[in-house]
Amino acid sequence: MLVLENLTKTYRMPAGEVRALDHVNLEIGQGEFVAVCGPSGSGKTTLLMMVAAMLRPSSGTVWFEDRAIYDMAGPVRARFRAKNIGFVFQMFHLVPYLNVLENVLLAAAVVHRPDGKVQARALLQRLGLEHRIGHRPSALSAGEKQRTAIARALLNRPKLILADEPTGNLDPDNTRCVLRHLQDFQKEGGTVIVATHGPAAREFATRTIQLRDGRLA
Amino acid sequence: MVILRMILKELWHRKVNFLLAVLAVMTAVAFLVAFFTASKASERETARLMLKMGYNLRIVAKDADIGGYLIVGIPDKTMPESYLEKLAAQNSFSYNHLLATLEGKTKCRGLDVILTGLAPEVCAPGQAKGAMTVAVAPGTAYVGYQVAQTLSLHKGDTIELNGKTLKVERCLAESGELDDMRIQCSLRDAQEILELPGQITAIKAVDCLCFAQGDPVATLRKEIGAILPEAQVFQAKSVAEARTKQRQMVRNVFAVLLPFVIIACGVWIGVLAVTNVRDRRPEIGLLRALGYNTSSVMLLFLGKALLVGLVGAGVGYLVGTGLGLHFGPGVFEITAKAMLQPELSLFIRACILAPVFAMIASFVPTVIAVTYDPARTLTEE
Repeated sequence: MLVLENLTKTYRMPAGEVRALDHVNLEIGQGEFVAVCGPSGSGKTTLLMMVAAMLRPSSGTVWFEDRAIYDMAGPVRARFRAKNIGFVFQMFHLVPYLNVLENVLLAAAVVHRPDGKVQARALLQRLGLEHRIGHRPSALSAGEKQRTAIARALLNRPKLILADEPTGNLDPDNTRCVLRHLQDFQKEGGTVIVATHGPAAREFATRTIQLRDGRLA
Repeated sequence: MVILRMILKELWHRKVNFLLAVLAVMTAVAFLVAFFTASKASERETARLMLKMGYNLRIVAKDADIGGYLIVGIPDKTMPESYLEKLAAQNSFSYNHLLATLEGKTKCRGLDVILTGLAPEVCAPGQAKGAMTVAVAPGTAYVGYQVAQTLSLHKGDTIELNGKTLKVERCLAESGELDDMRIQCSLRDAQEILELPGQITAIKAVDCLCFAQGDPVATLRKEIGAILPEAQVFQAKSVAEARTKQRQMVRNVFAVLLPFVIIACGVWIGVLAVTNVRDRRPEIGLLRALGYNTSSVMLLFLGKALLVGLVGAGVGYLVGTGLGLHFGPGVFEITAKAMLQPELSLFIRACILAPVFAMIASFVPTVIAVTYDPARTLTEE
């Protein structure tokens, strides 16, 4: 499903060039739960952003179901991302002035899903947030915020969910809860890639990849 | 729909930012509305004073004795009637009303009277203003108070002037001035009676008082001098002129202040927009990650600016009108407060221009917003 071919990313900094990813080759099949592990600065987030079609590699190709995603025009790539990829971030990134339901529905607006509201409510119920639908993020606990973000990621029935340190701000109970929800998605046929430097995700992953200094270890 | 809902919710969420932005637009709009409300009232009052005062400009033959004219009220020299057409045909002459007259002394039943022949009044092109004088029909006369009293004339009587018979159409009310000794008739009749065919003694005019600065009389003299080198101009100094000068002075001050106010308010809105964009970096990154395109993100910020502009225009109009009504009489020396009234046209203009102004001021921050790299903003802690 996903092939990373000779992927390299170099950042130009005032102090000189920094190579965040160095000739990474990787294949990920449909239905996999991949934990990308490594210390801070190892290139995990850069890898995820490239797979997310948001960060163009300096060289190499990202193939998503046999389509080179960076060969697509910007607007086409944006629509492709909206349809196929869901995101979960460590900082949740919920819009502070929208309530839980509206935050989830943000994802539906781009792909114009007429059943978005019904699906969003169903997802929130499944994630145990039905009583929080009208609440703003400031009124939610960290675990609830992350479950809202998962609902938003799942709404468009993506093929791939990318999660960047999704449990970084959560206690152990919420960590397991979030990872279980991601595992449920994987068990239903979706693909999950989690970037993490903690050990918890490894228990749920079908495969663990180690990154060190931008290279696969 | 989603974007509009987001704009409204964000406005409510960041009320202080919104209110400060509205305050900036309101300041600019109120400043303009207050000035123009009072300025228009001043113009109306000046126009009213001008009409009340009558013609304030006299154009007479170049060799006419102005001193003698001022003493006896009759110019001692004539000039061709064609001068009127020549003046009226020129676009370069700033006037509102023109009236050609022929005045001369004659005798009516042995009494010395001043005969005044009046040509049909000429209004400036595009001026939808009513005539300032009543046209006297040929063969008829308007008789001054003293003449009518002395000769026991009444409406319907006939008088003979130098062999020409005129029917008394109207006996005028007492004015206590030279007009009481006048007999007014049509220009043609006066030319026949005074045996001065095709001649006039003066062209009376009401200037438009539209000169932004400088000396209006000097400007008019220059304009008329170019058209009629054989004529001379003098002006009856008036309260209206003083008001015009006052208005011009305030306008000059306004012209100096306006750029500062507009720039300051524009920068104010711009800074608030930059702050707003910076606060919303993760949100912008998220929207881009979710597939929202550049135009959607631009709409989010420019739509907000548009709403800020509309609300600012409404509030600014109310505040500006209030300030104009309250302080206008003092600044513009307006005595007739009835002349001060809310200007609806300013509200419409404010509703169009203020949102455009707010959007222009917010444009650079909006461009900054769409150029944010979502890969970076979403991974910032």
